Amino acid sequence: MPADNRISDEALVSGMAAGDQDALATLNQRYGLALSAVADRILRDKADAEEVAADVLWQLWREASRFDRGRGSVGAWIMMTVRSRAIDRLRARKAREPRVGDPVEHIAAEDPSSEIHSSEQRRKVEGALATLNDGERDLLRLAYFSDLSQSEIAERTSLPLGTVKSRMRSGLIRLRDALQGSIE
Amino acid sequence: MDHAEIKDLIPLKALSRLDGDEASAVDEHLAAGCDECERELASLTEALAAMAIVESGGDGLSDRIWSRLQARLDADRPPQRIEYRTVREPSRGRGFAMLASAAVAAVVAIVVSVVFFNSRMRTDSSDVSNEIAALTARVIEVQRNLDTTGNQLAALEAKVAQTTDLTLASLGPDSQVVRLAGLPASPSATGSVALNRTEGTAMLEVSGLPPTPDDKVYEVWWIGEKQGPLKAGLFEPSSHGATIVSLDLPPPGEVVLASAITLEPSSGVEEPTGAMYLKGDFPRR
Repeated sequence: MPADNRISDEALVSGMAAGDQDALATLNQRYGLALSAVADRILRDKADAEEVAADVLWQLWREASRFDRGRGSVGAWIMMTVRSRAIDRLRARKAREPRVGDPVEHIAAEDPSSEIHSSEQRRKVEGALATLNDGERDLLRLAYFSDLSQSEIAERTSLPLGTVKSRMRSGLIRLRDALQGSIE
Repeated sequence: MDHAEIKDLIPLKALSRLDGDEASAVDEHLAAGCDECERELASLTEALAAMAIVESGGDGLSDRIWSRLQARLDADRPPQRIEYRTVREPSRGRGFAMLASAAVAAVVAIVVSVVFFNSRMRTDSSDVSNEIAALTARVIEVQRNLDTTGNQLAALEAKVAQTTDLTLASLGPDSQVVRLAGLPASPSATGSVALNRTEGTAMLEVSGLPPTPDDKVYEVWWIGEKQGPLKAGLFEPSSHGATIVSLDLPPPGEVVLASAITLEPSSGVEEPTGAMYLKGDFPRR
């Protein structure tokens, strides 16, 4: 069933606050795969990733009535929460089973043909990412999809620590500015 | 660090790539209420989320996630809104225990009566045995239900006690009640702190925080005018609804500027080191 693009995320959260399970299902259609893919890239365990994705949507379901729209979009909340939870789970796992950081690999989405709920938005983001140079883009990916410290990223990329910091900073600001420019 | 230096660090904060002094400086700056840096952090967080959706391969239906959610929806019971975490020992409902014992005794009496009646009226002993087995099972079930209800009652009594403490902390003549707002680490989290120095009571009510990892705990801080961050207590969030926690009082004479919650190692720390999840400023008197 295709995701319903006519209803905003915020309206879906309002529906969830009223107990509308269809709203939760629609939000899962929009973000479920992205959530599990992000968690999978961090955890490299599909079952764990799906559990984390379900945890995030479940938290939103349970706390929908208290969602504060003034503090950011639903999408931003979901994507930052899944990253935070995946990293927490990764750290807990490492604490139980110490393991030197493995390389971060891109894991393809389970259904590459799946429809994004806003292909126009996707094009804007891809366009914004294209304004970054390769170094900035790679560092942003590494920083977002891993639990590596700045020093570990510097070691991994063989770049000076100062360069890592400045490229992550400039890349993210450039991405934000490009996105804002594409929206305005 | 001044504002410009802090603002330079906001992108790394959005990427959760700050630690040590830099992380503390940024957290304190945000806790102090810099709207410009808050907006910067929010806009960068939005950009990262957009990147994550595209870089993760897009969004779309995930049947397996929905299966997990459906199972939770099916199993979901009416949420227990408040779970208390302080050391106050529940009284276990003495009156209820007497009532429960009487109820069990009544059920047992019924069983005996029915068995006796059946033994008088029926000659088929196997029928009587079946009746006894069925009624015994019923008695066991009733006892189990009573035990469950007793536990629920004890939990409710603990809630009432905590609510009393929270009310005392909130309603005194010199009480201060401050709303805590979720930060980017947990933007949907909310909470409030009530401080009543006269009654010697300080309470925290919080909800929407993610569960802590095995080796972590949430730590509550008073941000003092003279002494900076001061430990106020440790807690783990309730799995359902709000959590209420008794806090240590700030030192006498110290003016509290703000309260904040950070994620720290499970034994707690003397100075905040982890990400800040909630904060709220006390009004100046």
